[in-house]
Amino acid sequence: MSESDAAPGGGPDPTEPRSQFSGLLKPLAWIDGAIARFEAVVLAIGVMIMATVSVANVIGRFVLGESLFFVEELNRFLIVLITFVGLGYAARMGRHIRMSALYDSLPDRARKILMIVICLVTSAVMFVLAWYAYIYVVSVYDTGRIAPSLRIPVYLTFVWVPIGFVITGIQYLLTAVANLTRPDVYISASVVDTYEDTETQV
Amino acid sequence: MAEVMISVMVVLLLLGFPMMIPLIAGCFVAFFIFMPIPPEIMVQQMLGGIRPAALVAVPMFILAADIITKGHSADRLIDMVMRYVGHMRGGLGVTAAASCALFGAVSGSTQATVVAIGSPLRPRMLEAGYRDSFTLALIVNASDIAMLIPPSIAMIIYGVISGTSIAELFVAGIGPGLLILVLFASYCVFHAWRHDIPTQPKATWQERLKATRDALWPLGFPVIVVGGIYGGIFSPTEAAAVCVAYAFVLEFLIFRSLKWADLFEIAQSTGLITAVVFILVGAGNAFSWAISFNQIPQEILGSIGLDEASAIMVLVAISIAFFIGCMFVDPIVVILVLVPIFAPIVDSAGIDPVLVGVIITLQVAIGSATPPFGCDIFTAIAIFKRPYMDVIRGTPPFVVMLLGVSVALILFPQIALFLPQLAFGK
Amino acid sequence: ATWKYSLEEAIDEVQGVYATKFKEYIEANSDNEVQIFPFGTLGESNDTTELAQMGAIQFATASPGFTGSLIPELQVFLLPYVLPEEHAVLADFYQTSETINDMLAAKYEDKSLHLVDMYPEGEVVMTTKEPVTSPADLDGVKVRVMTSPMLIETYDAFGATPTPLPWGEVYGALQTNIIQGQENPMFFVESTKMYEVTDYITYAGHNNFTTAVVANKSFFDGLSDEDKTLVQEAANAAYEHIMDYQQGLTERSEAKILEAKPSMTVTHLTDEQRAPFREAAQQVREAFVNEVGGDAQAVLDGFEADIEASKARVAE
Ligand code: NA
Ligand code: NA
Repeated sequence: MSESDAAPGGGPDPTEPRSQFSGLLKPLAWIDGAIARFEAVVLAIGVMIMATVSVANVIGRFVLGESLFFVEELNRFLIVLITFVGLGYAARMGRHIRMSALYDSLPDRARKILMIVICLVTSAVMFVLAWYAYIYVVSVYDTGRIAPSLRIPVYLTFVWVPIGFVITGIQYLLTAVANLTRPDVYISASVVDTYEDTETQV
Repeated sequence: MAEVMISVMVVLLLLGFPMMIPLIAGCFVAFFIFMPIPPEIMVQQMLGGIRPAALVAVPMFILAADIITKGHSADRLIDMVMRYVGHMRGGLGVTAAASCALFGAVSGSTQATVVAIGSPLRPRMLEAGYRDSFTLALIVNASDIAMLIPPSIAMIIYGVISGTSIAELFVAGIGPGLLILVLFASYCVFHAWRHDIPTQPKATWQERLKATRDALWPLGFPVIVVGGIYGGIFSPTEAAAVCVAYAFVLEFLIFRSLKWADLFEIAQSTGLITAVVFILVGAGNAFSWAISFNQIPQEILGSIGLDEASAIMVLVAISIAFFIGCMFVDPIVVILVLVPIFAPIVDSAGIDPVLVGVIITLQVAIGSATPPFGCDIFTAIAIFKRPYMDVIRGTPPFVVMLLGVSVALILFPQIALFLPQLAFGK
Repeated sequence: ATWKYSLEEAIDEVQGVYATKFKEYIEANSDNEVQIFPFGTLGESNDTTELAQMGAIQFATASPGFTGSLIPELQVFLLPYVLPEEHAVLADFYQTSETINDMLAAKYEDKSLHLVDMYPEGEVVMTTKEPVTSPADLDGVKVRVMTSPMLIETYDAFGATPTPLPWGEVYGALQTNIIQGQENPMFFVESTKMYEVTDYITYAGHNNFTTAVVANKSFFDGLSDEDKTLVQEAANAAYEHIMDYQQGLTERSEAKILEAKPSMTVTHLTDEQRAPFREAAQQVREAFVNEVGGDAQAVLDGFEADIEASKARVAE
């Protein structure tokens, strides 16, 4: 709320995150952009599928007297997918919820240092969780549990969990880099710290 | 152990870490320092936290609310309401409180209420001159009523765990629910009067009729939700998806106010908000699990010694325990863990378990809107994109009113028990 | 040592009564301590079974209805008219069945679990809004079942419309008539207040809810011989206690229900009335064998032989 050098409403367009990568790292920028688009598409389609099958279930039961048995399992799977794809996407957009009262009251330089610490710690925590999520998915794979209605192995519904943590970890790492290499305080690799300029979007 | 966990969490929280980090750090402390069990269980429990089928209602109501707010339905509904109440002091505030109560009553979800009522009404309340801190606090706290008026998941779980009649619990929640609504509505009028929030000129009946006619299609929402749930067509969770379908039909086919590209964008933003809230629900569940696994509540409560306490003391202790528990941990988990611990004490003090259920449900509802870790607060932050402090700034008067109702319930149990006694002749 | 033991039910329900006896025996006869975690305090059934597999907890109650996603053959316990209907035969069957105690027990070992004990929790009854005496009465009736293929198949075969719903929504759905029936053991119908929102209770004798107590395999294998014996003795004591406790439990629950709601109608179907249900059950067995494959047929055959043997023993 205290960033003065970003004009109100004049912040970067968050749907087109400015890339960290330039010069020889250009291909990375392309990959980063592709991941961002992929995340956006998965989020939107996941939500739309959830709405569609839930309505289909109501219609099926009330009009045709037949329930769709897979809906509950499919919705649970979609919730996991949306949460963990969204985890990385929210980090990219700087949308994770924080209590910033104390932080906001600090002078610029202190805020920048604190933000770098926050990003590095958060990134490390994400990588640790990614590792344990990987171990967990492997252990579910080993038990061979099958979702009763969809008849697919349960571990398949969890594969996005470690990936989501890794992507989020990378996002916070990039945010730390952005704060180290550029003048402003960044809450994500492409979003400057202020509530005003994110208010109008979404 | 609990002290270390809580201290680490509070420090990280205050430093401004993303809210999931304090919760996860609490788990790390438990798993890496105190518990000799595989840490991947943290991940299992995070997934367990976002698995309950009823949670599907949250993204669905976000989606529906976003569609009607971006389209015409929400504006037409609110325009209509303004024609009727716009000339009264605090009219819009009272409308917001009543809408939260009605919507919360049928949907049963405090989070869904924040989304569905808050998104369309907040901009209009700001426009009308209400302060944002008041508006946000009103929306977050009025949604509490969702848990007290049937159907209520919290009451069903309490009923099953404690062996109490769910039907009686449902009826018993109505009195305190209405009492809270009356208090909140009065506070809205008081607030509007004190801050001299301008009123609109009284609308003529012609204007009212026209506004009502314009709102005819959108008025289908309450009809569908209330009629569909009580008419046995769909469950409260499914009602959310049906609202999405109806919103889609209205805005895309009838009003033609939105384009396909808008739908994609709305769905994407819904997914993003869902993720931001659900990662906290998941992390919160892992944290609650660690607390439960180590039998920390049993330890703390065992050291207090309530065996000889009077009925009022027991009720006070229950209120405090649930209130504090829900400040940090998911309400459902708090009910599952604490109810069995208190059951023998309630029994020996000879307290009506229906009264206990209502008091617990009220505390759980208050807790979910109370800092530091309240699901409704997270939802409001994600939806309205306001900083944490802005969302909770106006909360104190509401919490005081809610705690006042708790005290009233303990001193005058008839507030809750009058209706069930009337209905079941006990 | 401290052993953690999770349940799928509240502490005063059948699993809790069993676990409490088990705990008392262990603590009276050794220095070990047992901590019981009732329903939900460590997660839902699939999670707690997984916790036992990972060794985070030592014991878990894991009903075959849920564990069927892990060991498909366990779905045999969900099939209608497979288990004995008579209490004494049932009590003998669980203790003596080689199919359970050797064949199925080995399948638990493959999944890092040790099968400690299996016991019935009571006859499953249907609670509905209209009377049920024949499959025709179930026509068009939406009955809530767990999302298990065998239960869906069963109610399909019985002529009803099986309807999946999360447990938390069942009470409300019965109240608003989204569904018109559900099935559960009698004590559970009483404790979860299902009778408040239905009017008829029907005993068709089609099943007895079975549950299993499992231990983490490496934990159990690592116990001293003395402790292994202790666990087995505790399980035996708890089994005896729970079978005694169950004598009349269904009747006690029924009495409580009738006291709370005198208008409730309780019907025990006669053998003749059960005949068409038994006949319909045949197709569920076939579906079980076809869909589960593996040792499904062998398990079914084994059950039949074991039950015959139990009947003979009880008749003596
Ligand atoms: Na409600
Ligand atoms: Na809270």
